[in-house]
Amino acid sequence: MALLLKTTRFVESQIDTFLDVVSDSATTFQLAVEDYLNGRIDQFDARLAQIREFEHRADDLRVSVERFLYERTLIPENRGDVLAILENTDEVIDNIKDSLLQFSIEMPQIPEELDDLWIQTTRASVAAVEQLVFAVRSFFRDISAVNNYIHKVYFFEREADHIGERLRRQIFAMDIDLSLKSQLRFFAIHIEKISDAAQNVCDRLSIYTIKRQL
Amino acid sequence: MIFIYLLSGLFLGWSLGANDTGNIFGAAVETRMLKFKKAALIASIFITLGAMFEGSGPSGTLGRLGSVDALGGAFTVALAAAITITVIVRLGIPVSTSQTIVGAIIGWNYFSGRLTDYGSLITIASSWVLAFVLSGAIAALLYYLIRPWVNRSRMHLMEQDFFIRYALIIVGAFGAYSLGANNIANVVGVFVPVSPFKDISIGNLFTISGLQQLYLMGALSIVVGIYTFSHKVMRTVGKDLFHLSPITALIALLAEAIVLFLFASRGLYNLLLSMHIPPIPLVPVSSTQVIVGAVVGIGLAKGGKNIRYNILGRISIAWVAAPVIAFFISFVALFIFQNVFEQTVQQETAYIFDRVVITKIARDGYDTDALAPVNGRKFDTEQDIFQELKQQDALSREALMGIIAIAEKSPLQVDLAKIKASGFGRNFSPEELDLLGRLQDVKFRHKWQLSEALGQYPQFKIHRVPETEAQKNHNRLVEEKLQILYRSLRIK
Repeated sequence: MALLLKTTRFVESQIDTFLDVVSDSATTFQLAVEDYLNGRIDQFDARLAQIREFEHRADDLRVSVERFLYERTLIPENRGDVLAILENTDEVIDNIKDSLLQFSIEMPQIPEELDDLWIQTTRASVAAVEQLVFAVRSFFRDISAVNNYIHKVYFFEREADHIGERLRRQIFAMDIDLSLKSQLRFFAIHIEKISDAAQNVCDRLSIYTIKRQL
Repeated sequence: MIFIYLLSGLFLGWSLGANDTGNIFGAAVETRMLKFKKAALIASIFITLGAMFEGSGPSGTLGRLGSVDALGGAFTVALAAAITITVIVRLGIPVSTSQTIVGAIIGWNYFSGRLTDYGSLITIASSWVLAFVLSGAIAALLYYLIRPWVNRSRMHLMEQDFFIRYALIIVGAFGAYSLGANNIANVVGVFVPVSPFKDISIGNLFTISGLQQLYLMGALSIVVGIYTFSHKVMRTVGKDLFHLSPITALIALLAEAIVLFLFASRGLYNLLLSMHIPPIPLVPVSSTQVIVGAVVGIGLAKGGKNIRYNILGRISIAWVAAPVIAFFISFVALFIFQNVFEQTVQQETAYIFDRVVITKIARDGYDTDALAPVNGRKFDTEQDIFQELKQQDALSREALMGIIAIAEKSPLQVDLAKIKASGFGRNFSPEELDLLGRLQDVKFRHKWQLSEALGQYPQFKIHRVPETEAQKNHNRLVEEKLQILYRSLRIK
C-alpha cells in the first residue's frame, strides 16, 4: 500500500512544503520590515535574499505539483481548482518579495512616529497570510475547518486596510515633503496589497470548498 | 453455415459490449478518474475471464433463448436484438440487453405460434420501475451515509483521490467479471450444442475446451464492442444525465453492485438458504436500470436541480421501446428468413392428445372435461390448441400452458456422451451423471416423461407444491438441468 501511495504522498509533501514556504515568507517579511525600521540594513538585506530564495522554491514546488497532477491525471475533478489556489497563493509571495525589493531599491526615509502603525499594518497583513496558509491546508485535509480560517483572513485583511488607512492619513498629515508623502503612501499600499492577495485566494477558496463538499 | 449463424451472436456480443460496459465504467471514465483506454482494458480482461471461467450455461435468459429451438431462429432472434441495441446505443442511451433479447424471443414465439408466458412480460415491466427505484433509494442512502463521513474523515484530498480511483477500478473489475459470466450465455449460448470447436491441448499443461473457445470468441466480440462503441453510453451515464463527481461516481457504482448482489445474486441466495437464513427474494433487475436509478438517486439526494430530466425521459422511452422494437424486427426478420432465404427458423413440433397425455393431464390435476374438443387430435402449433380451448372458460391461461407443455411431442434419447460433448456436462455432478447413465439409450416421447423417469431419484425430484424456499430453489435448479437435457438430448 505504501508503495502504491508513493506518488500520492510525494505530491502531498510537495504541497505541504509549498505552504510552509509561504508561511515562512510571511514571517520573514515581518522580521525584515522590523529590521528596516530599526535600521538593521544588513540583516534586512539577508532577509530579502532569503525571501528571493523562498520565491524560487515556491515556484519550483508549484510547477512540480502542477506537472504531477497533469501527467498522472490526479484529482481530475479538483485539479483546476487546486492549481488556481497554488498559483494565487504563489502571487502572495511575489507581492511580499516585490514589497521588500522596493524597500531595498528606494530606501525610503520613514519618520520614527510612523513605526508603530507601520508595524501594525505589516502584522495584520502577515496574519492574513498565515491564516490563508491554514485555510489552504484545511482545504486539502479538513474541509469543515476551511470557512473558519477564511473568516479570519477576511478579518485581518480588513484590519490591514483599516490600519493602513490610518497610516496613510498620518503620512499626509505630517509636515514633510510631498514627494516623501507620495513615496511613503506607495509603500503603505504595497503592504496592504499583501493581505488583499490573501483575500483574493480566499474568495476562490470559499467557492472551491462548496464544490468539494459532497 | 454454423459460422454464418455465429456471426449474429458475435454481433449481439459487440452491441452488448458497447452498451453494458458503459453501465460499469461510464461514471469512472466521465469523471476522468479512469482513462477510457484503461477502463476498456480492465473491462476486456475481466469480461473475458468471467466468460471463460464462470460463463454459466443456463442463465435465466439463456433458458428462454434456449426455447428458440432452431439455429436459424436463434440467429434471427440474436440479430434482431443486436440491431435494436445498436440503434439505441448509437443514440447514446443505455438499454437492457436481456430485456431486448426477451422482446426478440417473444417475436419468435408469435411467429412460430407458441404461447408467450406473460410472466416474462411482467418481469420486464416491473424491472423498469423496481430496479430503478430500488437502486435510486440505495444510492441516496449511501450518499447520506458517506457524505458526513467523507467530510469529517480528514483524509488528504490526494489520498481520497487515490482510494476512490482504486475502488472504482476494483468495483468495476468485479462488475466486468460478472458481466462476462452472466451475459456470455446471451451471446453464444444458443450455439453451444452445435459448437464447431474442438478441444485444444497446450502441451500437457491445460486444455481449452471447445466450449471455452466458443465463449472466448463471444468475449472477444464483447471486447471489440467496448473499444469501438461504448463511449457514448459512458457519456450519458457519467455526465449527461447528471454531473457526477468521483466520489458520487463511486457511490453510484457501489449502489449498483449492492443491488445486483442482494437482489440478483443466485450465489448469495443459495448461501443464505444453506445457512437456514431466510433469503432475500431474487428480483429480476437489469444493470442498466440499476445504474441509471443510482445516478438519479444521487441527483435527487443532492437536491434534484441538476438532473437532466429530458435525458431521463429519453432513456425511459428507450427502455420501453427496446423490447417492442426487438419484437417487431424479430418477427419481420423471421418471416423474411423463412420465406425468402428458406431457412428453418423453428423445429417442426406436434401436440398430441392421446391416452397417455390425457392421463398425465388428469394426474397433474387439470380439468380433463374441458379437453373434449381436442381429445384424440393432433395439432401443429400452440396457438391452434389455444384457439380451440379458449372458448372453455374452465381453463385459465396458466392451465392451458401447462396442458400444452404436456401435449408437446419432443422425442428424446438419453445419451451421456452427447451431454458431455455439448459442453454442458459440467452442470451436472458426477452422481447426477451416474443417475443419467442408468437411463442410457432410453427413449422418451415427451419431456415430462424424462422428468418423471429422473424424478424417482431425489436429486431430480420436483416438489409439486414447494413449501419452503429451499424446496423452491431445488425445483428451480432441477428445472434448469432438465432444460439442458431437453435441448441436448433431442432426436429427430
